[in-house]
Amino acid sequence: MTSPKRILSTLGVYVILLAAAILTLGPFLLSVMTGLKSPAQFASEDSLALPRPFSLENFTTLLTGPGQFGSAILVTLAMTSVIVIFQLGFSVLAAYAFARIDFAGRRVLFWVYLAGLMVPNIVLVIPLYLMMVELGLRNTFWGLVLPFMFGSPYAIFLLREYFRGIPQDLVDAARIDGAGHWRTLVSIIVPLSKPILATLSLITIVSQWNSFLWPLVITTGPDWRVITVATATLQSQYNGNWTLVMAATTLALVPLVVLFLAFQKQVVRSITISGFK
Amino acid sequence: MLAPSLFGLAAFLVLPILVVLWLSFQSWDLLSPITPVGGANYADVLSDPTFYNSLAVTLFFVVIVIPVQTALGMIAASLLTRGLPGSLFFRTIYILPWVCAPLALGIVWRWILAPSDGLLNDLIGSRIEWLADPALALPSVAAVVVWSNVGYITLFFMAGLLNIPQHILDAASIDGAGPIATFFRIKLPLLRPTTFFVLVTSIISVFQLFDQIYALTGGGPFVVTDAGTYGRTDVVASRIYSEAFATFDLGRAAVMAVVLLVLLVVLTIGQQLYFGKRTTYDLS
Repeated sequence: MTSPKRILSTLGVYVILLAAAILTLGPFLLSVMTGLKSPAQFASEDSLALPRPFSLENFTTLLTGPGQFGSAILVTLAMTSVIVIFQLGFSVLAAYAFARIDFAGRRVLFWVYLAGLMVPNIVLVIPLYLMMVELGLRNTFWGLVLPFMFGSPYAIFLLREYFRGIPQDLVDAARIDGAGHWRTLVSIIVPLSKPILATLSLITIVSQWNSFLWPLVITTGPDWRVITVATATLQSQYNGNWTLVMAATTLALVPLVVLFLAFQKQVVRSITISGFK
Repeated sequence: MLAPSLFGLAAFLVLPILVVLWLSFQSWDLLSPITPVGGANYADVLSDPTFYNSLAVTLFFVVIVIPVQTALGMIAASLLTRGLPGSLFFRTIYILPWVCAPLALGIVWRWILAPSDGLLNDLIGSRIEWLADPALALPSVAAVVVWSNVGYITLFFMAGLLNIPQHILDAASIDGAGPIATFFRIKLPLLRPTTFFVLVTSIISVFQLFDQIYALTGGGPFVVTDAGTYGRTDVVASRIYSEAFATFDLGRAAVMAVVLLVLLVVLTIGQQLYFGKRTTYDLS
């Protein structure tokens, strides 16, 4: 039964959804569009005019010139990889202990981990900065990654839930065949946990690629600059040179947009099961 | 097996909290040696209008921005759960800002809102100082924050709405409830756990708000009065950052961090006590 009233209301819903979608996508498209314009076109034409011709000038300037975005991208990739690998590895170990090994104080310790989720970054940044200065790790790669390598409460929490869902029978069977904890973890638990591990890797990649406050604080100068810090620095140095700045934001945004579109089902699921930030 | 992450917990969570407590009783400008000053930092910060200003700005986000983005997320979620084709496509688009670097998006918005060659002023043909006018800066920044968060919130309300059993909605419609009555009398009460979750994560995220502020205004525009200097968008995190790494007074920054931590602990306990008693409906 489709009354005219119903058709009209459906049409209204689509108009609202479409308007919201344009508003959401606008800044992304504008960043790419403006990044592809020559400064001359930007200065002379309307902001919404399409780039004519497409100019890669801003991007080559960024990658070869003063912004040192080539280096920033490499540092960001290295930082992200190291943190993803170590954080997940150590979180898997801890989650296994919480899920499958009985030890005194297990519950209390787990609550301490959970409480850690509540502490804002900005509270930890000041003392961590002091600690890294004392260790002589300011403006080094290790200073960048060390605080995040040893597991995250958030990953431990999600992995523990997942591990507990794995049937005890499987674990018992492995035990009877003589497998210890390590063997059980490597040949039973981890292979069965691929979906959650993939999800957690995605989340960690996203949050590390985007991370800004800690890299801003702990690094100085171009050597260990990550892409967000390079973008912010460029914006303050070339204020008003918007085509160059938009090329920089495009470089910071596009890899994650692509990653998100490729894995959007996993990302969406991971957000809903966990409230990831 | 627990050893590495236990080390991480001790070294990068527990120890920093102890260090920040200790540092709040010291004076440190990054260059000279750290020297103890007793409670001077506390007396200083707790009588400083700049700090209270940053708490007020943060409170603005809690009481204005959170309700607005929660309501918008709820509306978007109800529109997206009508079973219309393309709903998932729209959902994907709406989450995009949440996945991307807040810093980079903040800089894109800085251009859009720029006074002379920014897009918005170009479109409406004016020269409004969206980010530098003391009256406009906070609403502008708030709008950008809402823009980034709505999709994420929508996602949770969609999940919540899709969890409501159809037979309950059918029963309501047989009893003659219209869409508005159904929303307020049936959906909203049943969504309470989702709403609670969204509000709690939103409040925690307000205290984390930094990247977008840094990109858009750096906490400004700063208004100088006899009593002190007030940053119109100077949220707590941005104030702490400025104290530590712009004016190099890490003792004061540590005090602010401690106060923030205490506030959050009190808030969390309060939330648990308040919402712990409220009714939720078990549908299982």
